[in-house]
Amino acid sequence: MKFFRSVGQVFGYSPFPTLVKHAVLCGRAVGILQKQFEAYENKDFNLVEKYRDEIDELESQADELKEEVRTHVTRSMILPIDRQDLLEFMRAQDEIINNCEHVGHMLTFRKVKLDVNIAGDFKILLAKIMECVNEYERMVEHINTLIETSFDKKEIQTILEIIQEVESLEHECDQVQIKLHTLLFNSNELNPLDVLLMDTWVVHLGYIANATARAADRFRLMILGR
Amino acid sequence: MIEVLIILTVISAFYMAWNIGANDAANSMATSYGSRALNLRQIIIIAAVLEFLGATFFGKNVVKTLAKGIVPIESLDPHLVICGAVAALLSAGLWITIATYLHLPISTTHSIVGAMLGFGIAAVSQGHLSLNAIKWDELIKIMLSWLVSPITGAILAFSIFSLIRLILFRKFHYERVERAFRYLQVFTASYVAFAHGSNDVANAVAPLALIFGHKVGAYYEIPTEILAFGGLGIAFGVATWGYKVIKMVGERITQLTYTRGFSAEFATATTVLVASALGLPISTTHTLVGSVIGVGLAGGLAGVNLRVIQRIIFSWILTLPISMLLSIGIYTILVVFV
Repeated sequence: MKFFRSVGQVFGYSPFPTLVKHAVLCGRAVGILQKQFEAYENKDFNLVEKYRDEIDELESQADELKEEVRTHVTRSMILPIDRQDLLEFMRAQDEIINNCEHVGHMLTFRKVKLDVNIAGDFKILLAKIMECVNEYERMVEHINTLIETSFDKKEIQTILEIIQEVESLEHECDQVQIKLHTLLFNSNELNPLDVLLMDTWVVHLGYIANATARAADRFRLMILGR
Repeated sequence: MIEVLIILTVISAFYMAWNIGANDAANSMATSYGSRALNLRQIIIIAAVLEFLGATFFGKNVVKTLAKGIVPIESLDPHLVICGAVAALLSAGLWITIATYLHLPISTTHSIVGAMLGFGIAAVSQGHLSLNAIKWDELIKIMLSWLVSPITGAILAFSIFSLIRLILFRKFHYERVERAFRYLQVFTASYVAFAHGSNDVANAVAPLALIFGHKVGAYYEIPTEILAFGGLGIAFGVATWGYKVIKMVGERITQLTYTRGFSAEFATATTVLVASALGLPISTTHTLVGSVIGVGLAGGLAGVNLRVIQRIIFSWILTLPISMLLSIGIYTILVVFV
């Protein structure tokens, strides 16, 4: 089958399936983070390290997807959205999984003896982040219908509502963070080094939620910008 | 000797028609396969029947342009005209074979125009014609149409898809609109095949018309048998090789939903059919590329690769001189030795 001339080349690379795959990896990383924290609480530190490696692996897969989009989305392509907006969004979304990777490592730095209250609040925070990222994933998956309907107003409205939900979940994460910080800095019997480390956990878990909200905002700019 | 040449021309014409059916017709039909509105068998049947009908009943004007729109054959000796027809067909056929093998997105239209021009220039250089006798204004008109046709396709496709988007998608659920357009694909696929046959048949049989027009003595009228012969060759090409090309190209085209496919095909077929009516030989493939870009500009596609435009322009620049030089060479050899 060597003998042919083709017009197929005019159909270029579509970056959208890859964006969705990348978002799914972000969600999976947060899921593993939850399991990693449970292993930490159960003092199964081998398992904690195993989960850290799993998140690292997801992060490097995500990097490959990001690179794929960046190399294929060239200026000689007509996209239904602005190319720069798309790349900015991709960068923002990548920060979600980058921050997951950071937290995954921070859980292996030191064996902190966890207080039941504090552990409980960490789990609440993680669950909230999971909820936030799940909602975020749902938002990104809507890009397919958005393109099929060619940016139908009803579809955009649906997505804008999901973005608001992501933002309000991020706000709820903030509340849990404030509660955790207050708890950490007011418990006099804790080892200061433990407090220091747990403070970094809280801050960086917050970064995951922040990155999610920021990527959702970038997504909004991208779909409204056309 | 002349008989041998004529048989050779008939065989080359059939081969050209076969190649047009196998490649260009297949490319035009691949969008229907890509959107999965029709299965491969249905597409082949539609393509074969409507290419044949378009060629036979609507191909005359373009054949006229190619046969006597560039070189003033009336002022040439019939013997030389036969040599010219043979040279044009052989050189266009040869270049198309090479380009097809190398996967270059060339146009059979450009090849035959270059080859006919080569025949004219060779006749000029041998003193049988004056340089002014070649119909340069007609040639410029043809070349302009190569630029205008993809742009027209793009504008039409952009407008059609924008209308679907702004009126139908707004009013109804998009899935319902897509479903409705699925049935329209039967119509647009037929429309494309008909239009393609009407324009591209000339690339294969115009030189044939030169010879047989002469023989009958009334070369102002193109015999319908010649058009039907070309149409048969195209249909044969679709059926024997085109299905592979349709499958392969179609599988790359997954972004085309029914509404996008409709917009691109309708725009292409309309542009090509108008060109056929005006007797302008244009490239269906390039018009289709223009139309797809139009749908992309209307925000209908996830990613359209503009680099294909560079490749098309490159193939223009390559095709004209190569088929022209081949034709000059073959014509000179024929005139000297036959």
